Amino acid sequence: MAHATQVGLQDATSPIMEELITFHDHALMIIFLICFLVLYALFLTLTTKLTNTNISDAQEMETVWTILPAIILVLIALPSLRILYMTDEVNDPSLTIKSIGHQWYWTYEYTDYGGLIFNSYMLPPLFLEPGDLRLLDVDNRVVLPIEAPIRMMITSQDVLHSWAVPTLGLKTDAIPGRLNQTTFTATRPGVYYGQCSEICGANHSFMPIVLELIPLKIFEMGPVFTL
Amino acid sequence: MLATRVFSLVGKRAISTSVCVRAHESVVKSEDFSLPAYMDRRDHPLPEVAHVKHLSASQKALKEKEKASWSSLSMDEKVESLCFLLHKCGFGEKWLNVAEEGAADLCACKWLSSLPPVYRIKFKESFAEMNRGSNEWKTVVGGAMFFIGFTALVIMWQKHYVYGPLPQSFDKEWVAKQTKRMLDMKVNPIQGLASKWDYEKNEWKK
Repeated sequence: MAHATQVGLQDATSPIMEELITFHDHALMIIFLICFLVLYALFLTLTTKLTNTNISDAQEMETVWTILPAIILVLIALPSLRILYMTDEVNDPSLTIKSIGHQWYWTYEYTDYGGLIFNSYMLPPLFLEPGDLRLLDVDNRVVLPIEAPIRMMITSQDVLHSWAVPTLGLKTDAIPGRLNQTTFTATRPGVYYGQCSEICGANHSFMPIVLELIPLKIFEMGPVFTL
Repeated sequence: MLATRVFSLVGKRAISTSVCVRAHESVVKSEDFSLPAYMDRRDHPLPEVAHVKHLSASQKALKEKEKASWSSLSMDEKVESLCFLLHKCGFGEKWLNVAEEGAADLCACKWLSSLPPVYRIKFKESFAEMNRGSNEWKTVVGGAMFFIGFTALVIMWQKHYVYGPLPQSFDKEWVAKQTKRMLDMKVNPIQGLASKWDYEKNEWKK
């Protein structure tokens, strides 16, 4: 989860998110360079003493400032596509969980080895204990094992929602009548938070997602989701 | 029109330059924009007309003297004569170049406060005069700071009369317990919150 005044990305909990953080640093650096260049040019424009208004035919300069942005775009596109294809790699998930969005809660179905289905509602403010995370904590968390590829099948039962967990680099729309798939592998145990990311009505801000990632040995011991 | 007259009284150009200009009718003499007009512009050094259209007697006399040989001019008159000025600057008969800022600075700077009358016939302001700074920035900055301060007052009023209380989770004890919980969960242990906590000594890292 983010702390109160956080601006940057949360620390990564999956290898894809680590890649995304590096890519973000790379793209942001390019953005800063371009912005600085433009600000500098603007400053020069505002403080120049020159008054020639008949400048034309600067073919060499025009060629450069066409080719150079094209190169910059390629330098952004290549790492981006690399990560995009990385997310689609064949990884043979160990577990498949279904996540169904409702107004205004999530339903999770663990049907690989049995039939576990439960709802996950945000804890109302009156039900919070001191120290709980307001607007983030839920009654039933999604308990999953670490270091195992997990497939999430995401859909919705009514309107559009979006299932997002920033620290895993996940955000997948929940669309009624459609099954969207996303996979991830968590590298460290912990409790990870996300919030519904597609406007879905009055309580759109009040249907969070909470994943509890635990070691596989403990996960295998059976239903442990209301500890 | 009367309102803009008021502004001319303040006219140290401490407020909007364009408003002050409107108050000074000498600048806005001609309303017919299809006729050639005089203007003091840095990027338009040679206006279509001279500044003074109707020469006085002394001005006419000076012009006649200028046409004759310059050796007949006294030293003062040489200083006053525009053409001689140009010749001294090495631009010969090319009086066009007087408008180049470089030349103006080079030669006219010495005569800044007392530019020769011949110059003043052709031009209203020298380059140095037309490019001078103003006090407008003080008004702008002061106005901006005033309105920011006013906004602060509005926000204080809102906080007191409009907004409800903050949720429980903003209480100090709650935040303390919450932070402890986040540290126990090792939230963002690589570069974020938990990375700043020393788990051995049970305190924030120095």
